Amino acid sequence: MNLQTASAVISFAKSLEDESAKFYQDLSQRYAEDKDVFVSLATENKKNIVQIERAYYGVISDAIEGCFAFDIEPDAYKVETALAEGASYHDALGKAIELEEKIVKFYTDAAEQSKSLMADVPRAFMLIVKKRAKRGTELRSLLGKEG
Amino acid sequence: MILEEPIKGVPLVKNFIDGEWVESKGEIRDVVNPAKYEVIAKVPISTKDEIEAAVEAAKAAFPDWRRTTPLARVRCLFRLKELLEEHFEEVSRVQTQEHGKTIDESRGETRRGIENVEVACGIPTLMMGYNLEDIATGIDEYVIRQPLGVFGIIGPFNFPFMIPLWSAPYAVATGNCVVIKPSSEVPLSQMKIAELVDEAGFPPGVWNVVNGGRTVVNGMLDHPDIQGIAFVGSTPTARDVIYKRCGETGKRVLAQGGAKNFMVIMPDCNIRATILALMTSFFGNTGQRCLSGANLVIVGEDDEFYKSFMDAVVATTSKIVIGCGLDESVQMGPLHDKEKKAKVIRYIESGLQQGAKLRLDGRKKVKIVGDYPDTCFLGPTIFEDVTPDMKIGSEEIFGPVMSVMRAKNLDEAIEMCNSNLFGNAHAVFTSSGKTAREFQYRVTSGNVGINIGIVAPMAFFPFSGMKQSFFGILHTQGQEAVRFFTESKVVIQRWF
Repeated sequence: MNLQTASAVISFAKSLEDESAKFYQDLSQRYAEDKDVFVSLATENKKNIVQIERAYYGVISDAIEGCFAFDIEPDAYKVETALAEGASYHDALGKAIELEEKIVKFYTDAAEQSKSLMADVPRAFMLIVKKRAKRGTELRSLLGKEG
Repeated sequence: MILEEPIKGVPLVKNFIDGEWVESKGEIRDVVNPAKYEVIAKVPISTKDEIEAAVEAAKAAFPDWRRTTPLARVRCLFRLKELLEEHFEEVSRVQTQEHGKTIDESRGETRRGIENVEVACGIPTLMMGYNLEDIATGIDEYVIRQPLGVFGIIGPFNFPFMIPLWSAPYAVATGNCVVIKPSSEVPLSQMKIAELVDEAGFPPGVWNVVNGGRTVVNGMLDHPDIQGIAFVGSTPTARDVIYKRCGETGKRVLAQGGAKNFMVIMPDCNIRATILALMTSFFGNTGQRCLSGANLVIVGEDDEFYKSFMDAVVATTSKIVIGCGLDESVQMGPLHDKEKKAKVIRYIESGLQQGAKLRLDGRKKVKIVGDYPDTCFLGPTIFEDVTPDMKIGSEEIFGPVMSVMRAKNLDEAIEMCNSNLFGNAHAVFTSSGKTAREFQYRVTSGNVGINIGIVAPMAFFPFSGMKQSFFGILHTQGQEAVRFFTESKVVIQRWF
């Protein structure tokens, strides 16, 4: 079923952030050479949740279209984050880039759908898009370094 | 995802009088979760003695409370605000459980309630008077605002958390004491607030809650120590009971009644955004709010625009997800009880009898997400070819029913709005500033929406209302609430 209410979309966004935080924690333990980068990405995910919740709980009101602001198909944004036991660092970075692209698309689509309806929520989503786009560049540079 | 219910077992609701939780001697009734149609609590219908005890406690607390500095008074409110934020999710879920609304709607209600506490925290500034030196040489004049004593606050069933907070924070911040009577159908939200009031450190007797019905209301209306009443409910009760009795007993009054709100659609509106706004307006809170859209007026003689707009409205409405409000996917919950559902069905039948065309019939088997009885559920209903003289076009239905009318032009649409007895919240959807201004200027409703389907004033603005939607002068919220709960005292002084 598509996600149409703000509550469902916020829960979905939180689950994406949680999943990606776990993924980066996992990477930080597997690949010691860039441990700090992955730990900071996982930490940032937790901050993203705070940012989203603050925007949602701060502006939710009966005057706006909280139950009708979205039409998100969750399967379109899900990424399999489990890495195979012997996955190479190259594979892991590739998976991370794929994850970032999917999540950027989710936030962009959700912001676009709700921008005239949900006040601060789409703005919070777009701030995360910016952060995530920056991470994509960072991950690509690690991938380039790795060769 | 289905969220966990905060109310477990079947607690017996108590009264909160003089800082104590007191068991009532009155008759006990059920509090029902309408989605599951199960009893979630028991509520007392308190006696005359119990309302009198609460008023006595409030009266006794008043002299010390009014002498407490405004800064110290609002520190209690700041603590209450923090506690409400800490319990935000819990109190929101309580509302859904006892009322049936969706979790997004409950969270919205919680936020709106807290905003009133926040605004009332500004009382040291909001309550200031004014002065002028030398009204005659050597003589100064100034105005001070003083609290009056004890106020009664009577809440409705449709916003169990928020509506008493339109008044209570301002009343206590200005130095008054309150006795709140929540709707006996939904008492749990106010009990939760009272628990937090207790924890916030308000002195005993400043904030009292007495559960019940008519006996409690009459006890407030007749009590000589109650200085005023803030009421929200139906128009007959607001007008014929509250306003009338307050006039007879010399009490201040603000009484908010029912509504029949018109949503006027101009052909130049943003169609997608307008339709989504209409979904919230007509079907949000299952149509059980005084700001809900009731009549949809489509302006112009362009049949093609009318047809395509209505096709889109019907298509979007048909997809509304119905179920228990604690399921995050749900967009519309049940009506609050089966009697209210039966009343809405009677209106639908009257629409058919009077010749309106039923485009979407909410009485048909409703598809409910999850395994819930359909006792209180009713699907969204759309009527076309409605005229303002039909019952469904003129009376408040308080359910998910959209009555669609057509008007040749804006003048005719405004005339339709203004000829209705109610005047709560009409709105226009347009991309023309000129049209919007004309509408705002001429329409006789206390709240006006421009591309907004639910015209809910923020806490720092008054919740207005006109004609049969409001009885009184000053309104709830913001500066007007401060004025309602205070008396202006003028001092003229000179020194020899």
